[in-house]
Parts: sequence; structure tokens; C-alpha cells
Amino acid sequence: MTFLLRALILGLTLLFFTFFYLYINEDKYYPGADFQTSDMPKFELYDLYSEKVINQDNLDGTFLINVWASWCITCRVEHGFLVNLSNQNIPIIGLNYKDEKENAIEWIERFGDPYKFIIHDLKGELALDLGVTGAPETFLVSNGTLIAHYRGEVNDMIWKDVFMPIIKKEGLFKND
Amino acid sequence: MLIEIAHFLTILSTGLFFLCFIFSFLLSSNDTNVINLVSKTYSHSFLLFVLSFLIYVYLAVNDDFRVLYIAQHSNINLPIFYKISSIWSAHEGSMFLWIVFLTIWGAVYNFFTSNNQPLKAKTIGVISLTSVGFLLFLLLTSNPFEIILPIPPENGADINPVLQDPLLAIHPPMLYMGYVGFVIAFGQSIAFLVEGKSEIKWEKQVRFWSLIAWSFLTLGIALGSWWAYYELGWGGYWFWDPVENVALMPWLAATAFIHSLSVSSKSSILRIWTLLLSILVFSLSLFGAFIVRSGIIDSVHSFANDPERGLYLLAFIGFLVITSLLLFSYRFSILVSNKRITSLSKESFISINNILFGTLIFSTMLGVMYPLIYEFIYNQKISVGAPFYNAIFVPITLLACIFMYFSIDSKWQQKLKIDLFKNPSIISSVMAIMVVIFVKYKFLISDFWTLASIFIGMMIITRYIFVIFDYLVLKKFTNIYSITAHIGLGLLIIAIGLNNDLSKERALNIQINDSDFYNNYEFTFDNMKLVSGPNYDSVIADFIVKDKAGNEFMLSPEKRKYFVRGQITTETAIHVTPFKDIYMTIGDQLDDGSWIVNIQFNYFIRWIWFSAILMIISGIFLAYSLSRKRS
Repeated sequence: MTFLLRALILGLTLLFFTFFYLYINEDKYYPGADFQTSDMPKFELYDLYSEKVINQDNLDGTFLINVWASWCITCRVEHGFLVNLSNQNIPIIGLNYKDEKENAIEWIERFGDPYKFIIHDLKGELALDLGVTGAPETFLVSNGTLIAHYRGEVNDMIWKDVFMPIIKKEGLFKND
Repeated sequence: MLIEIAHFLTILSTGLFFLCFIFSFLLSSNDTNVINLVSKTYSHSFLLFVLSFLIYVYLAVNDDFRVLYIAQHSNINLPIFYKISSIWSAHEGSMFLWIVFLTIWGAVYNFFTSNNQPLKAKTIGVISLTSVGFLLFLLLTSNPFEIILPIPPENGADINPVLQDPLLAIHPPMLYMGYVGFVIAFGQSIAFLVEGKSEIKWEKQVRFWSLIAWSFLTLGIALGSWWAYYELGWGGYWFWDPVENVALMPWLAATAFIHSLSVSSKSSILRIWTLLLSILVFSLSLFGAFIVRSGIIDSVHSFANDPERGLYLLAFIGFLVITSLLLFSYRFSILVSNKRITSLSKESFISINNILFGTLIFSTMLGVMYPLIYEFIYNQKISVGAPFYNAIFVPITLLACIFMYFSIDSKWQQKLKIDLFKNPSIISSVMAIMVVIFVKYKFLISDFWTLASIFIGMMIITRYIFVIFDYLVLKKFTNIYSITAHIGLGLLIIAIGLNNDLSKERALNIQINDSDFYNNYEFTFDNMKLVSGPNYDSVIADFIVKDKAGNEFMLSPEKRKYFVRGQITTETAIHVTPFKDIYMTIGDQLDDGSWIVNIQFNYFIRWIWFSAILMIISGIFLAYSLSRKRS
């Protein structure tokens, strides 16, 4: 009887920890990652520098959208990695989020510009439609469809574990 | 420079804590030199670590934005108080604080426990090992000492406005104090198992530390509940949020534990339960840390994170828990008592309630785990909500209260005998029935469970009033703090029952200068103001509220928009009366210019927190009286 009791307590505990081990090791366990596909929302916003109107038709092919702001410290941490990515010919479009124009430009001058161009979203309109909750966030877009969304800092590990599998699966960025 | 010193000190103290663990487990613990060595090593290591934390606080106060974490979570314009509390507003810093508290418990234990205490060295060893585990977690996966290169920001970031609240600044520290406080009980039971001498009486000592930790835990949970009510605008006291649940589980286990301790500190029966519970309480506290910090569950509490943290914590907690359970299993025989529990004795009621509490913990765990298991297998998200928990908690808690009621008259190791004509139970049940009838017709309550809660709560309170009478007038010896704590329990179940049944809410759609009636109150929308705060703009709605008797008061709910992150927060307006709160929040403006306002009448909600305060004070005084008795 007491043996059974002891075995039960130990067995349940082991089961418990095994479950969490499996759960954590599962691919989908990246709390910031989301792979639900949806269409790129329609929008009309200005380019940060030229004040030219940009809408959804100006975006084509496969690219990343990176949501950033000059007030966001994590964006600063992430920035170096984005510069690396753009050097590997991955196109990144910046979405400057709820930020003053001057601050944003000053920030880019200071830390470098990994972006093809930057959309200035002062009121967070496009960001709202994209489902952005803060900065930084990064989307993978292919031919007008959002295929991956990551909330938080993208770094080497996140790039390898979250973005690379889907990029390989879909065969993206091959022409570059 | 200072930040590097702080970083270095933490690394150094990690090494020293590890040495301390090695000394205590590898050298003979009966040698007074060894005990001195362990005790000294621990206190030196602790001092270095606390110094490291104080340097960190100094850097936060002086806006050293070279430190990445401080730059991310503090701002040059924040008042000093929030600069300090910004340290625990996110993962790395709060982990730092958590470990500081863990080592403080150890240091206080170390300081106040005489070196003759046979379990002292090993207990400190276990505390040191736990600290090392968390320190490595801090240093390897969540380093708060990281530096921004090359150019630090000038002003820092802005901490989340929701977190800029005095209550929130103290809620996490209180909760952490409670969680980690059970490390003493855990350490002592592991030390006891390792020593394997059944004659060592460790329960009495542990009771003191556990009561204090329990009081902190209760306080932390109550503060969190109060914060969600008035700052988050959730409008209630408990939401079965997963993170509330992972705080509730150690609380339930701790409550069972302190009761079990009072049995096994008198005789050696229930030792198995007590020991298992001491492991369970601490494991559940750690499990809470794992759930919150691995980001497995989305909630207001979760931290931004990466999976490595989850994996590390899981491995470390798994190691601690499984090792302790193996040890428990190995030493099972020294825990078994050949005394049998007399039926209907005080012990028997406490054992039954142990089982009932176990059921509650298990059910809560099921509620937390079920969505995870479901998601794992079917890849779909589901949530387990209040109906599940209510269906289980209400009947089981009431049943536990009934057994608790019988335990009032019962004695240690004796069968319960009630002389019906002499026992005050008759009078207290008559009084309880009268209250139930009064409440039923006064407030028109028909729900069985509400009436049952009021009945059982009143039975407990009135019965204890007789006990207090005996104590004050007849000078009969009794544990007065246990009485006040249980009166708190009686109040709690009555207040929860009434709150659940009577509270109501309604969304109004109202134009300026219009008025509307709800629950016999007239609400007049008097004015709408735009106000600029120091770092936000806000709209304030002024409502004049008039009750039936013609008394007027003003409620001004507010909505703020913070400049820096554009975050919108609602500030509730609450009118407090002894029996109910009138609680208002404003929502959005509609196209026709009218505003949506939400009005809630929350009955007896203050009584819920009041009963928690009663329990906390009782816990602290009981611990104090135990320590006086000991010395």
C-alpha cells in the first residue's frame, strides 16, 4: 500500500515534468510567434522621408515588416541584427510606430538604416490593422499575405527557430 | 564601473553559496566548527549579494542608462519611488528581487537560529542550493547587468503606465516574500529527511517561519486582487486568471500545511502529510515562477521571454522536486507513526480538510493544465473559466468549513462529544438561521449556495463569539489568533456569497446633461473635461449621483492616453459605502456624441479584503506569540 502510494506520487510528478518538457520543446512554443495567415490590410500612409503616399500596392514580393519606434529601447537592441539581415539581401520595410518624425529620422541617422523604406504611422492605423500590440514586432509578408508574426525582439535565435523553418518550407527569398 | 562591480559581486556570491551547500552536505553536521563555517559562509555571501542589489538600486535611482534593463524600464522624469519600483517591473529585475528575498529569509533564519539546532547546517545548505539555482538562472538567461553599447539613451524608456501605481509597486514584493518564505520549511524538511532521525522535532520551529510566509502570501494575493479591482478596472476581486491560480495553489497548500504542522508539532501523527505538504508548497511556488516566467500562459502578468528560460527553470525545479520526492520515498518509514488518529478528534478533522484542500489544489491544477494539454494534442486554444472553478470550489470549501466548525468543539486525540443542551452550537445555529431568513427576505436571495454560505459563515462566526466570551470572561485558555483568523474565514465566505449574488452591472449610453436611473440611483452626466497630466492627456466625466434619500455625491471616471507609448488606461471612480461600492468606468464616445459608461454595484466587496486583513494580522500575531513562547 505505501509502496503504491510512493510510486503514484513519484509517477505523477514525473509525468507532470515530462509533459512540460515536451510542451516547451514543441516548435509552436514561442510565445511571441503566430503563424496564422491573413491578407495584408489596405492602408494609405506617408513615407517617413519623402512624404510620398504609400499604399498596399507599393509592396510586392516577399519582405519583412518591422515595427519600430525611437522611444522603444528593445528596438535599439534589435537594430544591429536587422542591419545584418539587410546586408544578407533580406528586404525589410520599416513601420515607424507612434513616433515623431524628427526623432525617428535622428534615430536612423544615428544607428543606421536597414530598411528599404519606412512607413510613418504616427497614429498607429496600419499597426492596429496588423494587430500590433507594441514595438518591436516583425511580420513576414509574401505576395500580399502575412504568413508569420513575431512579437518582441528578433535576434539570431528567433530568426533561426521561428522564421527560417517557414521560409524554407515556403521556399522564399530564393532569387536574392 | 559600478554596474560591473555589482555584476561581479553577484557572481562571487553565487560561488560562495555553492561552497556553503558543499560544506553543509559533505562535512559532518554534528561538528560545531562545520556549523559555524556554514553559517559564516552564508552570511558573508548574503552580504555581498545584498550589496550588489543595493548598488543596482543606486544606479536605478541615479538614472544610469548604460544598464540596458534600467534604460528599458525607467525614465529620467519618474519620481524616485517609481525609479526603484521599476527594478521589479519586468522579468530580469523582478527575478533579481526574488532571489534577494530568498536569501533574506535564509539570512534571518541563520541569524535567529542557534547553532545547536541539529538541522541548521543542512537547512542552510538547501537554501543555498536553491539560491544558486536561481542565481545561475539570473546570470545565464536573464542578466540584469547587461550594458548598452555604444551610446546609452539620454532619457530612458517609460515604464508601463498601468504599473505606475503605488500598490503595484508593493504587490509583487509581498507576493515574492510569501512564495520564497516557504524555503525555510522546505529546507528543514529536506534536512530532516537527509538526517533521517525521526526523533528530531522540526515542526515547532517551522511553524513560526511558515506562518510569517503565509501572511505575506495572503497579503500579496489580497493586494493583487485589490489592484485589479481599482486600477485595471476589472471590477471584481477574483478572475480565475491562470496567474491568480498559480498563486492560489501554493496558498491552499500553505494553509493546509500550517494546520498540519499544528498537529504534527504536538504528536508525530500526520507527519507524512506535513512533510509532503512542505515539499508541495514550495514546489507550487516554484511552479508559479515557471508558469509566469516561461511565458507559457498569456496573461496580464506574463513577461516577454524566450524558451530557454522556461527550459532552465523546468530543469531546475524538476531536479529539486524529484530529488525531494525520492528522498521522501526513501525515508518513508521514519515518517510513519504507529499511533492511529482517533476518529472525530481534532486531528481527524484536520486530516479530512487536508484531503479536501488537496482536491481543491488538484482541481485548480487541472484548470491550469487542461488548456495546455488540449493545445498540445489538438493544437487549439481553449480556456477554462469561472464556471468550472465555481462548481468545484463552492461545495468543497463549504464542506471544509463544516468540518472546521466541528473541529471547534473537538479536542486533540479525543472523540468529539457534544452535549447538545450545553453546547452553544444550538444558539449559534438558531442565530445563523435567523440571519439567513433575514437576508433572504431583505435582499430577495433564492440561490441555494449563497444561502448555504451565509448560514455556514454565520455558524462559524457566532460559534467563535462564544469561544471569545469564554476566553475573555471565563479566562479559558484558547488560541485567540486562530479564532480571529477563522472569523475572517466566516466573513470571507459570507462576503463572497453575497457579492456573487447581489452585484450587478450595466452599460449606459448617455449624453451630457442627461440622466438615467439604475438600481435606485440617479446618474446625471454633468460635465466632460479635458485635462493634461504630466505625461498624459485625459478625459474626465463628472457624474452627479443621487440616491433615493436625496444624498448627492460625485463620481469622475477618467480615461488617460499616455504620450510615450500611446497607451490608453481607464481610471475607475468608486464610491465606497459599508455594504456596497458604486463603481464607474467610461468607455468610448459614440458617433452621436453620447458616451458609454459602465456602472457596477459591488456588494460586500470591502468585506472580502477586510477578512483577508483579519487573517493576515492573525497569522502575524500567532507567529509572534509562538516565538515568545519559545524563547
